[in-house]
Amino acid sequence: MKITLALITLTLALTPALAQKTPPPPGPARPLNLRKITEKKLPNGLTVVLAPLPNVPKISSILTFRSATTASDRKARPGIAQIAASVANEGTDTRTSKQLKEELRSIGGSLSLGSDADSTTMSASSLSEFSAKLFELMSDVAQHPSFPESEVKLAQGNTIQQIRAGRAEPGFLVNERFQKAIYGDHPYSFVVPDEKSISALTPTDLRAFVAKYYIPNTSHLIVVGDIDVDKTFAQIERAFGSWKSGDAPPDENPPVPKRDKRQIYFVNRPGSIQSAIYIGNVSIPRKDKDYFALRTADTIYGGSFYSRLTRNIRETKGYTYSPFSSSNTRAKTGAFLAGAFVRNEVTGPTLLEIFYELDRMRVLPVTDEELSAAKEYSTGNFSVELASQFGLAGRINTVYTFDLDKSFINDFRPRIEALTAADIQKAAAKYFDTYRAAIVIVGDWDKVKDQVTPFGEVTIYDAEGNIINKMGSTD
Amino acid sequence: MRRYVATSIAVALLATTAFAATTPKPLNVPVVYYKLPNGLKVVISEDHMAPVVTVAVYYNVGFRLEPKGRTGFAHLFEHMMFQGSANVKKFEHAKFVEANGGSLNGHTDFDYTNYYQTLPSNRVELGLWLESDRMRSLDISEENLKNQQAVVSEEVRVNVLNQPYQLFEWISLWENAFTNWNNSHNGYGELAEINAATIEDVRSFFKTYYAPNNAVLTVVGDVDVNEVKKMVEKYYAGIPSQPAPKRADLTEPPQTKEKRVSQTDKLANLPALATGYHLPPQNSADFPAMALLVQILQAGEGSRWYQRLVKEKELTLDLSGGLNYFGNEFDYTGPMIMTTRTTYKPGHTADEVLREMDAVIADITSKGITDKELANAKVQYRSNFYSQLEGSFGKAHLLSALALFRDDPQQINSLLTPFENVTAAQVKSAAAKYLVPTNRTVIDRVPEKKGTN
Repeated sequence: MKITLALITLTLALTPALAQKTPPPPGPARPLNLRKITEKKLPNGLTVVLAPLPNVPKISSILTFRSATTASDRKARPGIAQIAASVANEGTDTRTSKQLKEELRSIGGSLSLGSDADSTTMSASSLSEFSAKLFELMSDVAQHPSFPESEVKLAQGNTIQQIRAGRAEPGFLVNERFQKAIYGDHPYSFVVPDEKSISALTPTDLRAFVAKYYIPNTSHLIVVGDIDVDKTFAQIERAFGSWKSGDAPPDENPPVPKRDKRQIYFVNRPGSIQSAIYIGNVSIPRKDKDYFALRTADTIYGGSFYSRLTRNIRETKGYTYSPFSSSNTRAKTGAFLAGAFVRNEVTGPTLLEIFYELDRMRVLPVTDEELSAAKEYSTGNFSVELASQFGLAGRINTVYTFDLDKSFINDFRPRIEALTAADIQKAAAKYFDTYRAAIVIVGDWDKVKDQVTPFGEVTIYDAEGNIINKMGSTD
Repeated sequence: MRRYVATSIAVALLATTAFAATTPKPLNVPVVYYKLPNGLKVVISEDHMAPVVTVAVYYNVGFRLEPKGRTGFAHLFEHMMFQGSANVKKFEHAKFVEANGGSLNGHTDFDYTNYYQTLPSNRVELGLWLESDRMRSLDISEENLKNQQAVVSEEVRVNVLNQPYQLFEWISLWENAFTNWNNSHNGYGELAEINAATIEDVRSFFKTYYAPNNAVLTVVGDVDVNEVKKMVEKYYAGIPSQPAPKRADLTEPPQTKEKRVSQTDKLANLPALATGYHLPPQNSADFPAMALLVQILQAGEGSRWYQRLVKEKELTLDLSGGLNYFGNEFDYTGPMIMTTRTTYKPGHTADEVLREMDAVIADITSKGITDKELANAKVQYRSNFYSQLEGSFGKAHLLSALALFRDDPQQINSLLTPFENVTAAQVKSAAAKYLVPTNRTVIDRVPEKKGTN
């Protein structure tokens, strides 16, 4: 795998003495050096994906349980996936929580779990010399978490307190209200469980949840790093071979609510000196054919630093530090949103500019220069992402979690490069739907209400999510 | 026996079996280091793992050195570096980098300010040209200064003033733990002082600190050293050096009494506690032992303080902190404190939390740590260290800091050695020497409003 360098450029001999006035041109393109990715399967159904990337003597691994989502058992036991994920590594049938943490330290390791609307994932890493031990610990946590009474109780109490602490943060509140506003009763609206649901969970519930949903035949294990594929696979067979498969539970995908007009969801936070603003709506699932066009429209609008939104409300107007937009596409659907945190005085003007820039993307084609820059930005940064162990593992994880074509990584560049300005405009017209947008603002209602009410019908909430008033009629 | 054939971090594995591998593998990061006649330090490290390159410039000035009456100025200045130079218009730096497939940022720290872009490696010359243009010819208008004063004010609002706790474990803790203004003042800045800065301030700061002889240029990635050397010569050799800036006195008088501070918080729902202990200087014999002690006390859920406070006594919700609030063991040069922050549960007091933290320290100072605990701390330390070297930026960061503060980036390959050599006795004695109440500052921050919980 030794790489012979091509000569980068021969023009350097003609060095001018003066400072160069224009940007130097690129040298010849370098080989992409894409990693070899190997997929295997265990007899119990576990999909194993291995990719050597020996940039440091470590391995990085993601084990994804696709059946264990925040939607699983959500009616009977809301929040159970989240609590299960947070307590699964606090003890197994043969290891106490403390023993687990000590063993992880002894291999330079880390292991944590998290759940979202599409899966529960275990992320783990260690020095590569201890990979067999890491797989043993991951397998133990996946198969035999014991949910000791004391650990469950502690996690319940702490989760409740952490959510209370979060309700003081504008970032937490604006995200929570946004997800609820756009997803309604769809499972994707879940952010955190309420306190009663958390308290109601028992160790028996949690053990049953894991037995039912942490199953190998709907899971995949990704390992990236300083590995030898055959030896690593043998270690994985030893560690995960005895994991019993189960019945894949049915999947739930109710329709998302349709909004027929612009609506404002205002979370009142008295004393706030800024308004935290999210504007957006549901978009498309990750597998949708518009994925690349929407993603690129997002890059041009607010998803990169030299984006239209940043140039406007940061670099020209100075309203905000970090305006952004994001296209978050997932297994069942997705969301597009634009956001900014701005001082109270410019709340209304910021809404105006966010909408103006969204509409401009819908009505006029992007310039050739913008399109070519966005393509370079996406493909260049894709290479950087694939150069880190967790970057590559995360990217492979999206392929398996969202059931994308296995060629996704290789196809990424040609798919991006094929886009036209018309594709971008079409995607923007469809998904930057300003007339049916949800506008979520966390701020001091009394200070900014006059700037907000011209934009639509308002529902006002408190930090706990209770509706205080409709239509801004509190004044 | 496994063999590394990677061309980047060519790690030669000496141990023949996995079991014997408790000693670190020697690192072999290739490092080319030299200085231009104008004083610019240049570090180049080839790494052909991926077709990317990081071009970074580190200036030897952070917020400790900003002028009095101008808190937050070093950071405001960092923003000005994106506002244009002779051949690159306002914000065009971002345009050129992103339109060529890269990403970019800058960061202001205690003792340095950095600017970096990661690009496809065939665009290395673009990165070098961009950084040279602003080093040579920063060009700031009144209008652009005003614009960035507004932007930075929003940054302070979003990250500090509109947040619960307002970063008290940094800003307030440093204000109280240190007595020398250079070390103690609020580096994010008071809004009034950020907005009082003038064009003259910008020009003079640039002339004093942003000269080639006060900087390191680092290139890490899929490039050829000799080609990069020629480009560096082309773009940087003609930038004139400046008189070396007068170094400010950063010394701190030794602390002799414990400092306790109580604060109330208008926005927070739960109480929180922060502590800061003064650390020995990086070149002191005690430093590696302290670094491992920090690992043992507060790195991760297996750490002693986490286990005691969160798990056994169920007093607190979390535990965070470390040896350098923003960075690591190597990327600062002035006086430093080890910081710890923990959110504790309503119904408890700061004294209860402190009592448990102290009990852990007392256990170490009386009984010491076990050999196993020490061995685990070293393995974890090594693992974390490797993670820092994973990408071209991580490696560029460490190489830049070593060039900037030690004039010796080759040290990257032997950096772990002093930490690997620490003994359990040294950890015990470091705990006894530094983790004493007279060496610490404690801030207890409680919600102002009553009855929210």
